[in-house]
Amino acid sequence: MTPMLALLQQAVTDTTGAYGHFPGVGGRGAVWVAAEVHLMFAAFVLGVPMFAVITELIGIVSKDEKYDKLSHEFTRLLVFAYSATALWGAMLLFALTTLYPKFWAHMTKIFSVSMWIYVSLFFVESFTLYLYYYGWERWQFGRGKWFHWGLGVLLNVWGTTVMLIANGWLTYMMSPPTGATAEGLPKGVTMWNAIANATWIPINIHRLIANAVFGGAIVAAYAAYRFLAAKTPEERAHYDWMGYVGNFIAISTFIVLPFAGYWLGREIYQYNQQMGITMMGGFMSWLWIVQAVLIGVLFLCANYYLWLGMARIPGAERFVPYTKWMLLLLIVCWIAWSTPHTMIATRDELVSMGGAHHPFLNVLGVMSAKNTAVNLMILTTFLSFLIYRRANKESVVPWARTGTLIQGAMFVIAAAVVLFYGVYGYFVEAIVRIGFSVYQVGAVLMCILGVSIIDAFIGRGARSRGEIRWGQMPERSQYALFVLAVTFTWLMGLMGFARSGIRQHWHVWEVMRDTSPDAFTPALGYAANMISLCVLIFLSLVAFIFWLGGLAERASHAVAPEPHGVAIPPGIAVARPGAAPVTGD
Amino acid sequence: MWKTNLKVLAIALLVVGFYTTVAHIIPQLQSEVPEALALGSGVTPEALVAAGEKIYNGAGGCTACHGLGTRAPNLITDYKGQGAVGARCGTRKPGMACKAYLYESLTQPQAYIVQGFDPIMPDMRKQLSDDQIWAAVAFLESQGGEVDVTGEDIAKSAPAKGAAPAPTGPAMTATLDPVALYSEKGCIGCHQMDGKGGAVGPSWDHIGSRRSAASIRRKIIDPKSDTTKGFEKFAGMMPATFGQMLTAAQLEALVTFLANKK
Ligand code: HEC
Ligand code: HEC
Repeated sequence: MTPMLALLQQAVTDTTGAYGHFPGVGGRGAVWVAAEVHLMFAAFVLGVPMFAVITELIGIVSKDEKYDKLSHEFTRLLVFAYSATALWGAMLLFALTTLYPKFWAHMTKIFSVSMWIYVSLFFVESFTLYLYYYGWERWQFGRGKWFHWGLGVLLNVWGTTVMLIANGWLTYMMSPPTGATAEGLPKGVTMWNAIANATWIPINIHRLIANAVFGGAIVAAYAAYRFLAAKTPEERAHYDWMGYVGNFIAISTFIVLPFAGYWLGREIYQYNQQMGITMMGGFMSWLWIVQAVLIGVLFLCANYYLWLGMARIPGAERFVPYTKWMLLLLIVCWIAWSTPHTMIATRDELVSMGGAHHPFLNVLGVMSAKNTAVNLMILTTFLSFLIYRRANKESVVPWARTGTLIQGAMFVIAAAVVLFYGVYGYFVEAIVRIGFSVYQVGAVLMCILGVSIIDAFIGRGARSRGEIRWGQMPERSQYALFVLAVTFTWLMGLMGFARSGIRQHWHVWEVMRDTSPDAFTPALGYAANMISLCVLIFLSLVAFIFWLGGLAERASHAVAPEPHGVAIPPGIAVARPGAAPVTGD
Repeated sequence: MWKTNLKVLAIALLVVGFYTTVAHIIPQLQSEVPEALALGSGVTPEALVAAGEKIYNGAGGCTACHGLGTRAPNLITDYKGQGAVGARCGTRKPGMACKAYLYESLTQPQAYIVQGFDPIMPDMRKQLSDDQIWAAVAFLESQGGEVDVTGEDIAKSAPAKGAAPAPTGPAMTATLDPVALYSEKGCIGCHQMDGKGGAVGPSWDHIGSRRSAASIRRKIIDPKSDTTKGFEKFAGMMPATFGQMLTAAQLEALVTFLANKK
């Protein structure tokens, strides 16, 4: 049977029973919202535990109580977020079974075993979480603490496995193994082949990193809110610090995300050129412009937050004059990056442009310019971090000056490499140019690595120019953290649309066709409305969870008023005369 | 505290609103589902061309590659002085008329690879129905050439109801000469033999020392079986339709010929 005939037959047998109706947003809209909100919560409950165990470990090793407290605070949020995840998961499941019964039957036929494993793991995961949270006080010391930390690790293991299974299902829809038909898998192709399909591993990596980013951003937003609501300087100091840590993790993991993205893109191209091209140059080409706008905002806000943070560091004044140049550079790069490149041109447009590329957009819009811009933005952000770290330190090692000069040289070399290949890229074939991005990225990564290593040594036993005055932060800075969190959430929604939109009118690419009236892939405007709707639902629920967290905290204090309450644990300096000694960042 | 809450809310709405607005001011492209056509045998060339233009610019996804001139040759504008596709289609393969060539380009795109490009064009039968493909052919012909697609072409290649699908592609000839089959059936697009042909798949020189006749036969009928070492990346590229395009005698002629190329 030719594929076309099979599809025709499918269309014929697709009676009205294949799709359900949903009032208002329609079937697709309902599944969209349920899936996206579920995914956002899932990212939350995967990202935040990563954090919790890392901070708990730092707490155990450094014996610094503030880390333990931070970790505990994250976990409290998790308990509520967990139920929300399960709830939205159930909604998604019901939406799929009632609105897309035929498609869902196809999926269950192939994946049923993995679905049972999935729910069992979910169950085990919840129990681990309850033990982890409610056992906090019980296993606080000695070996008990390590056991407790082990629970945290297990929590991550379960959570990640659950994600890997779900990723198997959705990547199957993008890149099913050869031979799959609407009737199921051919002989010799197992469920495992369907799970471990061409895009599975890259999506796993991409999502794992993105979850860490997302966890950090949400934690930072939580801290920002508590900072604004804080009544005492101690509280302000604690939440200022928490916001800083969250943001630091979000941004530093975010920097590696594009590389995982490139890899995923390459796998998609390799699986099916047409799908890859639809993604980057087809009707979706404009999506990347919107993405560039969002990422530009992310970089600007992250840097802005760091620059404002210098105000709480004595000695940072020396660096303030440079920030305006960095701002300028960021903006120039942002503009270059958001310039459109490959767009579908109709015949008339082609004729009127006199070629496939717009004469002006052509210069800024091609990959060379974009890669250069992004790499320079990453370098600039790294520089901000570095300045921030250095601000209150005075190195005591004799070679400090030379070291700094070498660091400076590394920056210059990396920037020069990026620029050189950026410009040279205009003079070579596309296929050669793609290779250049590897050199650019390599130079930036080498610079980050080399400079960090030198910095660690320069900072050894450094003299302090004064303590970081945690809590002494203008309120504006906290709003920057909100913008970051909202932007990350929206970005996740947008990328979700890109990932599932490139399948176009296929439930399962070239295996099962979408024959519903909603089969077309909507334009970005409509998609943006849906994304915004999901983001707002998610954020309101998260706000509710934060509020509940506050209630729970107050309740637990009312029951057992601890002597130190929200008082600042040792190790945090408060913006108050005579505060405890500081350990820096 | 309410003031703070309101401020946070305002910020969130502002940011979300900003992104939504950006997404609304860019061009609104929506990806359409290929429209089912019902072009009968009485269809006019104009109707075919109009339907084909829609497919070309829309659901066919052709512009994603052909709209740029770098990934795939321009079709509706000149390509390297050979004219638009309607003008050059008749000169691509000796002895193959424009219509047959275009149909083959869409259904067995690997059978002839335009020089300087990679064999990335997908077999459009997975995406489009037969009348849609013929409509696209008519549209391409109209770009600098003459439209000679008729309703009969559609009727001929459409699968008869209930019966096994009729072989698609250019009409079968009865030749039993393996070398003629080599070029006629498009193996030449991917396999080299005596220094001729494309280098996508393994060369046919000495193939008989690698594979038995049975293995070659199976490979032609079911190309997914037993992928050649070193060509794993290209597995799945060889069209699976040869089993239906060759008569039993032709298949045996090719198999014997290849098995003897030691
Ligand atoms: C994934 C990219 C891609 C898509 C999508 C695509 N093509 Fe192609 N096409 C190519 C490439 C590359 C070539 C040149 C290499 C070759 O001959 O296969 C080509 C060649 C052709 C040729 C032969 C041109 C010549 O000068 O001989 C025709 C005709 C053609 N395509 C028509 C179409 C039509 C019609 C569509 C949409 C239904 C389409 N293509 C979709 C990539 C694509
Ligand atoms: C679109 C390109 C393409 C076309 C057209 C094509 N092949 Fe192939 N063929 C391949 C590729 C790629 C491989 C190697 C990968 C594999 O084993 O699947 C291959 C492998 C083979 C092999 C095994 C070769 C070996 O050394 O092991 C045989 C036999 C073969 N093809 C026969 C044919 C015949 C006969 C035709 C024409 C009727 C044909 N092919 C047309 C791409 C093609």
